[in-house]
Amino acid sequence: MEKTLYQIFKTFFKVGTLLLGGGYVILPLLQSELVDKRDWIDDDELCEYYALGQSVPGIIAANTAIFVGYKLKKTPGAIAATLGIVMPAFISIILIAKILEEVVKLKFVQSIFWGVGIGVVLLIYLAVKEMWRKSVVDKFSCWIFFITFTLSACFKAPPAALIILAIFIGVWLPYQRKIEYGDKEE
Amino acid sequence: MIIYLKLFLEFFHIGLFSFGGGYATLPFLYHIADVQKWYTTKQLADMIAVSSITPGPVGVNVATFAGFTTAGIVGAFIATTAVILPSLILIIIISKLLEQFRHNKYVQSVIYTLKPAGCGLLAAVGVDMFINSINLFGMVLLTGLFVASITEKRDPLFYLGVSALVGLIAGFFNLTG
Repeated sequence: MEKTLYQIFKTFFKVGTLLLGGGYVILPLLQSELVDKRDWIDDDELCEYYALGQSVPGIIAANTAIFVGYKLKKTPGAIAATLGIVMPAFISIILIAKILEEVVKLKFVQSIFWGVGIGVVLLIYLAVKEMWRKSVVDKFSCWIFFITFTLSACFKAPPAALIILAIFIGVWLPYQRKIEYGDKEE
Repeated sequence: MIIYLKLFLEFFHIGLFSFGGGYATLPFLYHIADVQKWYTTKQLADMIAVSSITPGPVGVNVATFAGFTTAGIVGAFIATTAVILPSLILIIIISKLLEQFRHNKYVQSVIYTLKPAGCGLLAAVGVDMFINSINLFGMVLLTGLFVASITEKRDPLFYLGVSALVGLIAGFFNLTG
């Protein structure tokens, strides 16, 4: 499919509409829409943008979208992606803002929360599996994965601290050894 | 006029300093509830719950909500723009730099270490959500979804739709508690 600004906006609008459960499903959604259906980017690039999106301040889902938008069509692409991802959120909140308290109290709404929560767990699992394939390429990256995971899951270390730690290790690494990063563009 | 400026500054601040995403924005949002009184902490808690069934990231949802309740649709627009603007500017700059320095060995090395770290953080979020939402019936639903996922590659919409529907039905039989 052609990468016009309108197409980019429309695609991200769809992703934004499906972005339920607090934004963590951005990765599986982008995988489905941009990698599988449209072939605009590949898994490797998506994994990279998601990792970079976590290392920039702001909202990760939006950050990932902006990185991908830029990749697709530079600055205008980044703006189109931002508008697409934010607009469904904006519209839906405006529509329910006045009845927020009533909505939350409804029994059936809470049941849906609960169900979607379980669905999100599965989507995160699928995303982690895919990201693992692209990011854990040797013993060292496997260590980074498990250390980050353990510090975050068991010790509630702040994500920002872990990201900064990973960046430091990344800068320090070339001093220590020669690694092949397997960059396919080279 | 002054309220627009205040909204812009507060949410620009969140966009610029909430680092690590997702629930990293929450402390800032609670702080605003205390200081600015644009919404109560009760409303914020409702908002966070609602944002799991409304489209979009929590941070954007709360910005829109706070802007709307304090200053109407213009306020909503200003707060939402403000929360997203720092990301947009920073990422355009970083992307331009990346284009230039993609093959630099330090840049490559940082990308190499960031990817597994990002993956580990997401896995931790998954485990956390699993522990917080699971019960016996949830385990049944999750197992069902898991089996569906290994038989065929499916659209994320499939999982969200099925789980919302099952949740709705389970609610009638009090299986969600």
